[in-house]
Amino acid sequence: MKMKKVLFAAVSAGVLMLASPSLAATELTVQRFFGACDADFGTNTDVAKAVGECGIITSLINKFNADNPDVHVSVSTVEWPGYDQLTAQFASGEAPDIVTIHESALSDYQSKGLLMPLDDLLKSVGVTPDSFTDAARNGATKDGKIYGLPIDSWTMLYHINMDLFKQAGLVNADGTPILPTSPEELLAQAEQFKQKTGKPYFVQNLANETALYTRNLYTYLFQQNSDFFADPKHVKLNTPEAKKVVEMYKAIFDKDYTTKDLDYGGAINAFLAGGGGVQLNGTWVVGDNNAQSETKGTALNKGGYAVYPYPQLFAGAHAQYADGHTWAVSQKDRTPEQTAAIGKFLKFFADHDFDWSRTGHLPAYKAIIASDAFKALPHRNTIAAVADLGRPLPSAVQRQFAIQDIVGEEMSAAITGQKDVDAALADMESRVNELLANI
Amino acid sequence: MDDRRATPRTALPAAGARTASVDIYAPQWRNFIFVAPFLFFFTTLLLVPLFWGMWLSFHKADTFSSGNFVGFGNYIRLFHDKVFLQSVWNTFYFVLLTVPTLALIGLFLALCLNRRTRTAAVLRTLFFSSSVLSVTIVTLIWRIVFIPNVGLLSTIYGWFGATAPAFISDPSLAMIGIAIATVWWCIGLPMMLFLSALQQIPQDIYEAAALDNANRWQTLRSITLPSIKRTFVLVVIVQIVLQFQLFGQAWLMTRGGPNNLTKPIVLYIYDTAFRRWDLGMGAAASEVLFVLILMAAMAQYLVTRNKAGQA
Repeated sequence: MKMKKVLFAAVSAGVLMLASPSLAATELTVQRFFGACDADFGTNTDVAKAVGECGIITSLINKFNADNPDVHVSVSTVEWPGYDQLTAQFASGEAPDIVTIHESALSDYQSKGLLMPLDDLLKSVGVTPDSFTDAARNGATKDGKIYGLPIDSWTMLYHINMDLFKQAGLVNADGTPILPTSPEELLAQAEQFKQKTGKPYFVQNLANETALYTRNLYTYLFQQNSDFFADPKHVKLNTPEAKKVVEMYKAIFDKDYTTKDLDYGGAINAFLAGGGGVQLNGTWVVGDNNAQSETKGTALNKGGYAVYPYPQLFAGAHAQYADGHTWAVSQKDRTPEQTAAIGKFLKFFADHDFDWSRTGHLPAYKAIIASDAFKALPHRNTIAAVADLGRPLPSAVQRQFAIQDIVGEEMSAAITGQKDVDAALADMESRVNELLANI
Repeated sequence: MDDRRATPRTALPAAGARTASVDIYAPQWRNFIFVAPFLFFFTTLLLVPLFWGMWLSFHKADTFSSGNFVGFGNYIRLFHDKVFLQSVWNTFYFVLLTVPTLALIGLFLALCLNRRTRTAAVLRTLFFSSSVLSVTIVTLIWRIVFIPNVGLLSTIYGWFGATAPAFISDPSLAMIGIAIATVWWCIGLPMMLFLSALQQIPQDIYEAAALDNANRWQTLRSITLPSIKRTFVLVVIVQIVLQFQLFGQAWLMTRGGPNNLTKPIVLYIYDTAFRRWDLGMGAAASEVLFVLILMAAMAQYLVTRNKAGQA
């Protein structure tokens, strides 16, 4: 009898061991930027409670894990934009399954055959590219195939402290801010702002920064119809149009119309503390800034917070630089279960794009942009225009992040007076072309 | 006995049987097993990458593929690149800022703390404690000090109604800011080396000097400093080799900015090879750094050899 029991126990244990692989959840590795906020949202699965990029994405992935016990997603968070690590991971064959990649960086990895085309996988889970907005579909499409699930379109915006704008007399009768329509008007309004409030018009993160400078330049080159990347392998930046933009920002710097020595975090804090009128920052802080404006006692609560696309300062196209975030999938051998799990993850994010759009980013799906729920979100009436204004660099331009560094470094040198404007533009052009010629 | 020590070639014969003598100094292949693990790692982690790096520097290569042979093309591009030349100058400037400071402050601290009191022991530990921190923590601390508006420096200047110097973003101050953080971080080792050298000076020389009525300045100039001259040279050369490899502080404090004024050679290599994927040119820059550090190491060799000759 005893022997029988032992035998039964051994057989049961054996059956369990054999069965366990099929019961085990499929493991997926996900790598993302957007910051770490485990202290606040590490276990939160109620996405509606989350605020900001980090809070919302952390909560969304928590919810995915909770809703899908057969899949387990482990997340590694990298410092923005994380491409140094990703490149090293690809080179050593240790790439994550799913990773956040900007539309502007997709072609770098896609051109090396490192990413998986997603058309069939997305189709199998019922996500079709015709549901994407034009900007998202174009950004995620390379050589006719989809290489990333777009989750948003983003751009830079004028985040405005309305209390200071009122003090400066820069408010229309209907309560909207008065924004400039030309470079001359911008400088005049910035002077008026400084005189009336004693504070700089702009809050910019100029300390060792490159991205902000570059995005500002691209936007105002678009607005002058400068086709500086007509040839994706050769840039033309030593032009009168570029000079106009750099000289405008140099005047802003020289006349103290901007904060000067702040880094990214410092600039956000300065704006939230009422340190200036307009912060140049992206769509991603709309949610956070709005939450601040609803909190009593804050500088933004005093007179309100408004947010607008960059004003049209030149007579050319109505446009501003834009990009988008995607979930891309690394190219590697996978079991059908793993591929299906990735499909589930992508479908989950496609289905929850409204939650992501609460960050301030524009949704990547037409249906969400058109939805009442999206329109009812704060400030979307003023920034929805970005869906039409947003313009990326041509998708065939490679190494856009490296180019951004070069352009930003030279612009910074010209604006802060380290270099003559003409010399900086000449160096900017030759350095970018040297980089592109050697890809 | 002397004979046996000089000729340990014959093993003691076993009882009853005469065995062939064994030359324990003779080369034997099985001895290779003892050095094999070291040789394996030395070859795979040092020699192969060294020669692979040289090979890459003559090719147009990116992170995912190695392309055509371009001869000295990468080197020519490198020496036409203003940013590279700037980074070489930055590296020398940084070495110039930090090495003399480290040597002199290290010596000063060692002279002050070379006594057997409890306070001196506590202070020695305190000054050495920064050395155990990682570069990330060090830069974080100094960013908190330097950061505009809310940083420690800004707060202190604010008490007097003044504006603090922008050590992170001012073109003329950024490298000095990194040097200050580095000196604070690295001061422990020079101080300890000087302390150990000071403690090796025989006390009787000082007693003789005291009998001769030498004052403290004369004692320092004529006894202490000449006695630790070799340690001084050692500290300077060790620090030159270490500071030539500046990377973490510049990357984490200023990202090499403003406009590449704090970009050292290692950061240039990182930028070129891993952010622009131009592996061939990154490898070429690495070879230049290799030669520069080799020169510093050769200088150390020559200096120590001459000293040995004099002794």
